[in-house]
Amino acid sequence: MGTRRGRFVERTITGALSFIKESIFADEYASSRGFLQARDPRLKAAAIFALLLAVLLSREIAPIACIYALCLLLAAVSSIGIPYFLKRTWFFVPLFSLCIAAPALFSIFTPGEALISVTIFSFNIAITKQGVAGAGIFFLRILTSVSLCVLLSLTTRHQRLLGALRAFRVPQVFVMTLGMCHRYVYSFIELIQNSHLAIKSRSGGVRSPSMGRRMVAWNISTLWRRSYDLHGRVYQAMISRGYRGEPLSMDDDRVTAADILCLGAAILILAGGIWRARFSS
Amino acid sequence: MAGPLFELRDVRYAYHGKYPALRGVSLSIERGTRVALVGANGTGKSTLLAMLDALIFPDGGAVLAMGKELTAELFEDAGFSLEFRRRVGFVFQNPEVQLFCPTVEEDIAFGPLQLGAPVPEIRARLERLSSVFKLSDILGRAPHQLSVGEKRKVTLASVLAIEPEVLLLDEPTAGLDPQTVRDIIAVLLAEHGGGKTIVFATHDLHLVEEFADVVHVMGPEKNLIRSAAPGDILLDQDFLEMNNLVHIHAHRHADMLHIHAHRHSRRGA
Repeated sequence: MGTRRGRFVERTITGALSFIKESIFADEYASSRGFLQARDPRLKAAAIFALLLAVLLSREIAPIACIYALCLLLAAVSSIGIPYFLKRTWFFVPLFSLCIAAPALFSIFTPGEALISVTIFSFNIAITKQGVAGAGIFFLRILTSVSLCVLLSLTTRHQRLLGALRAFRVPQVFVMTLGMCHRYVYSFIELIQNSHLAIKSRSGGVRSPSMGRRMVAWNISTLWRRSYDLHGRVYQAMISRGYRGEPLSMDDDRVTAADILCLGAAILILAGGIWRARFSS
Repeated sequence: MAGPLFELRDVRYAYHGKYPALRGVSLSIERGTRVALVGANGTGKSTLLAMLDALIFPDGGAVLAMGKELTAELFEDAGFSLEFRRRVGFVFQNPEVQLFCPTVEEDIAFGPLQLGAPVPEIRARLERLSSVFKLSDILGRAPHQLSVGEKRKVTLASVLAIEPEVLLLDEPTAGLDPQTVRDIIAVLLAEHGGGKTIVFATHDLHLVEEFADVVHVMGPEKNLIRSAAPGDILLDQDFLEMNNLVHIHAHRHADMLHIHAHRHSRRGA
């Protein structure tokens, strides 16, 4: 039914927008009390980076799975609900990577020991043990990397995160662009949502897929002009209050023994990963 | 310091070089005064305020602030830029563009942090302003979740946190409920009592009547057509009607609908 498909477009737009909004502006987790929230953002970022390297260097499922389990544990002790965390980390990137990795399961791409074998029109296709291992590592590596990044962004206030980037000598223009993007993305979402509501109020909603497509096309065509105007004014508002490209925060970044301990543990895991990578080769 | 705080000399400005927004505006603003910029939509009030805040610079003519001509080159000097931003605060017409931090608290603290105020001092200002604007319960909330009135209060608080000498306000009471308007006027009166110069653009003639010392009226040709005391302008009904500044009211007398222009008079007049 056309109406149902039309509603599908509408639901997709509103669902995607509210997800993005919720994802980017979920600052309540960064403000709540928890293990990772209490850590110094610079050392926390360094520790997460060390874990990311360990994930990248590992060629076996077990160590990556352990780091992923550590992610879940860290989420739990940082007042992040596991269902919410899974929703954030499994959406988009890992599911997409699973689709990319799926062909590697089959003997056509990864020859090896067959686990399951089927014959279609006298053509034999098998899922191989090596294929499962390769696709599994690929998928788990992406899932764990995404989880680590999400943990960092969820448990660190935006300004402090940008401040941590500057502490690592990330160029000011890059950090400034990130800071501005944060605000613009929200403004864009607002624009799209308001346009959607305006169309809905005049037409009674998206009644057909073709109307849905037209609506998206209208949004795209007007978004550029409106966002250009908006970003100029947001920038002016920032300049007006003395913005010079440096992210500043009222929080006092003090390194504690627990911060150093966490970083040490992450470096140990990384060292173990490097040693294991060498040993296994 | 002698001389006006701001002086505009034959200022011209066009957006993208082809859409004129100001055509030969000359005026001066004295220290400690409350100045209203009045005019119909599209007469250049917001552009004029942006120029006073040195966010844009004239295509022709000159804007002088605190005795210096404001130019893009001058603002490349970080020291001057910092000093100017400390002294002049601008509340934008649209709160959406001004509230860009994840929480209300961070938005209020943004200006003083950028301008180098010490953290304990910022915390003290935050506490004072949250109490004045009754924002204590929403400090941790995201600005986009607030009502229009709350957003407006937060934008004002975020600029007052800088403690500027000059407050530029673009339509400070537009779209607000009567109580919020009263709250904002009370804060502005208190700020002026503390010696601030306040320049505001508005269509709200009640605000002009109650608050302004001087009124500059912008005309459809995007130039200044009249500068006078509020009493002189508000009592000139023909002038107000000619410039789309009269509020037409409809109300009932018994069972008859009665429509007429709303008349203003200067306080005490």
